[in-house]
Amino acid sequence: MKTICLKGARIIDPSIESDEKRDIYFRDNKIISPRDAKNIEYIDVTGKIIFPGLVDLRCHINDLSGGNGENIFSVTRAAAAGGYSTVVLMPNLNPIPDNPATIQFIKDQIKKDACINVKLTGCLTKGSNGKVLAPLGSLKNAGVVAITDSPLSPQNNQIFCKAVEYASMFDLPVIDLPRDLSLSKEGNAHDGPTALKMGLGGYPRIAEELFVQRAISTSRSLGTKVHLSSISSHGSVDMIKDAKHKGVMITADVSPQHLALTETKISNYDTNFKTTPPLREEEDKKYLIEGLIDGTIDCIASAHEPVKEYEKNVEYDLAPSGVTSLETAFNISLKVLSKHPKFTWINLLKFMSLRPSEIIKIQGGSLQVDNIANITIFDPLKKWNFISSTGKSRAFNTPFNNSQFTGKVIKTYVNGVVTQNDKIKQNN
Amino acid sequence: MGIPKWKPKNLLGIESLSKIEIRKILTLAKELKCTPDKNQSYLAGKRIVNLFMEPSTRTRIAFELAAKTLHADVISIAEKSSSLTKGETLRDTALNIQALGADAIVLRHSSPGSPLLLSRIIDVPVINAGDGAHEHPSQALLDLYTLEEKIGSLEGKKITILGDILFSRVARSNFWALSKMGAKVTLAGPSTLVPKSFETMGAIVSHDLKESLADADAVMLLRIQHERQSSSHFPSLEEYTRIFGLNKYRSKWLKKDVVILHPGPINRGVEIDSELADSANSVILDQVTNGVAVRMAILCLCTLSHKNK
Repeated sequence: MKTICLKGARIIDPSIESDEKRDIYFRDNKIISPRDAKNIEYIDVTGKIIFPGLVDLRCHINDLSGGNGENIFSVTRAAAAGGYSTVVLMPNLNPIPDNPATIQFIKDQIKKDACINVKLTGCLTKGSNGKVLAPLGSLKNAGVVAITDSPLSPQNNQIFCKAVEYASMFDLPVIDLPRDLSLSKEGNAHDGPTALKMGLGGYPRIAEELFVQRAISTSRSLGTKVHLSSISSHGSVDMIKDAKHKGVMITADVSPQHLALTETKISNYDTNFKTTPPLREEEDKKYLIEGLIDGTIDCIASAHEPVKEYEKNVEYDLAPSGVTSLETAFNISLKVLSKHPKFTWINLLKFMSLRPSEIIKIQGGSLQVDNIANITIFDPLKKWNFISSTGKSRAFNTPFNNSQFTGKVIKTYVNGVVTQNDKIKQNN
Repeated sequence: MGIPKWKPKNLLGIESLSKIEIRKILTLAKELKCTPDKNQSYLAGKRIVNLFMEPSTRTRIAFELAAKTLHADVISIAEKSSSLTKGETLRDTALNIQALGADAIVLRHSSPGSPLLLSRIIDVPVINAGDGAHEHPSQALLDLYTLEEKIGSLEGKKITILGDILFSRVARSNFWALSKMGAKVTLAGPSTLVPKSFETMGAIVSHDLKESLADADAVMLLRIQHERQSSSHFPSLEEYTRIFGLNKYRSKWLKKDVVILHPGPINRGVEIDSELADSANSVILDQVTNGVAVRMAILCLCTLSHKNK
C-alpha cells in the first residue's frame, strides 16, 4: 500500500500542544511513523497549515437523502469544504431517531451518501416531544454518540434530570440546547435595543440562563456530565465558569455566528440572521470570546441549520430559525479569535477538533501515530469570497454571504481519503 | 397646488423619515384638507390596493376614503377573502397584485417588518398601515397633524404616551415622530408594558401616573390590548384601570389645556373614562378626520413620485 507524505507544512496538533514544521505520513486510514513508510508519494504542502480534521457537535439537515433541502450528501460535502472530518447530526430528522431501527436506517443512508464521518445523536425523549424518555440504552447500542432533543430542550425538569441520570449508566453524553419555552415561546429575537425598535423580541437571556442553571445543578447533584449546546448569553458564561471552578462536570459550546455577530444585524429584518438562540449584544459576544479563551466554554460548534430559501423568504416572525455555517465556521472563528491577544492555533484546534471529540468520546483532534488520518490542509494566504449559491451546501441561509476571507481549507482527508481537493500540486 | 418633490418610494415607518419629509407630508395634508373635494383628482386612473391582513376599521376606511377622494380606483382585500387563507405567501399575493396593475399597496399585517419585505419584492410603492408592534406611520403623522393644529409647534413640548407601549406600533411611530419634531416624550404605564429598555431609544420611562401627567402638554392614551397579552403582563383590566386609568379625579393632575389623544378603538372605562374622552380637551374625533387628509397626502406623494409607469 502506498504511503502519503505531506511535506513542508506547519503542523498543528492540539493533542500534544504542538505547532511545528514537520512532515506527516499516513497509509490506508492511519497516521504512521516515517520509519514505517514505504512506497511514498510526496505531496508538497510548503507554506500550508495542517491540522486534525474538524469535529462539529451541532449539525442539522432537512432530508436524509434526496429532497430539495440539505441532505447527508450535501451536508458532508459542505462540511468537508469547511475542513470537517466529522459532524454530529442532531435528531430533528425525518424519520426521527428515537428507536434503534431508525438509527440503523439512517446509518445505511450515511453509508450510501456521506463523504465524511457522520455521527448520530438519538432523541432524549420519544419524538423529541419532551414527555417520555426515549430508549437511551438501546439507542446507545445502536450507535448514537450522544442524546439530545436539539434544537428543542425538554421543558419538564423531571424528564431532563432522569434522562441525565439514566444516560450516565451507559456513559452516554447528554447535550442540551438550553431554552425555557415558557419564557421564549414565540421568541423571534433577543430582547435587546434593536428588537425593541423593530417590534420583535421574546427570547430573553433568562430563557437560556435558567436552563443552563438546570443543567449545572443536575450535573452537580448527580456527579455526571452534561454538555450545553450553543450558549449565547453572558450570564450563562458566568454560571458555567463558576460551576467549573467548583468541579461540576459541565461542558459547553458556542457557535461561530455568536462569536462574530450581534443583534444589530437583524435591523433590516433579514431572516438569514435569525438563529436559535438569537444573536445577542456586544457584551454577550465579548463574554463568549473570553469564555472560550479562558476555558469556560470548551468548544465551537457550527450550529449549521439549513432552511430552504422559500421558507426563509417570509415575514421575520414567521421564518424558521437557522443559519448555515459549516463552510465558513473555521474562517469565522479564526477571524474573530485571532484578534485576541491570547490567540493560538493550538487553542483554535482544541476548540474545533480535540475537545468536541473528547465530549462525544471519539478519536479525533490528534495527528499522532496510530490515529486515524483525518487531516485538513489550510492555505493561510489564499484570499477568497464566500458566495452561498456556489457553495457545497444546498441551503443559502448564511449570514456570511459575500464575505471576504484570507485563508482557505484546500484539502480534507477523511480516513485517509481526499474528500475536498482544491488544486494541490502532487509529486510522485 | 402642486405636489412637492418626494424621494422615498415607500412609507415604511417614521424612524427612517427626516424632519423635512415629515413636514412635507403635513403641509400637503393641510392643503388637501382645505381644497374642495371635486378638485382633488390627483390619483385619477391609479389603482390603490388595500391589503389588510389584520382587522382594522379606522385605518382601512381612512385609506379607502383618502384614495377615493383623490379619484383613485380602490380595491380592499381582507385576509379572510384573500388567497392567504389558502396558504399563499405574502410574497406571492403581492406579486399577483402587482401583476394585476396596482400603483400602490397599503399593507396592514401582524408581522413586524412585513412592509419592508414587500417593498423588496415588488416595484410599486408600499405604504405601511401598521406592522405588528413595529410602526404605524400614518397614525403618527395624523397625530402630529392634530397636535400641531391644537398647540402649534411641538418644539420643547412635553408629551406623554400612556398604556401598552411594548406591543404598540402607534407608540413607536409616535415616539419617533414627536421626537423628530422636538418634543420630549415620556412613555408611561406598567413596568411590564413599558420596560426601562425604552430608554435606549431616548424616551423617558415612567411608571408613576401622577408624575407622568404632571406637566404634559398632551397625553396620548393607548388601548390596552387585553386580547393580545397573556395574563402575565398585567393582572386584570380592573387593576389596570385602578392604577393607570385616566378618570375625572385624576384629571386634576393634568394641565388645564392638556390635549387628550387616543388612536382608537377606545375601551371606555378602562384606559379612559367617558367624561374625559368626550371632553373639550379630547381631540379623538379630530384625529379621525385628519386621518383622511394625512393619508391623502401620503398616497399622493408615494404614488405620484414613483415613476414605474
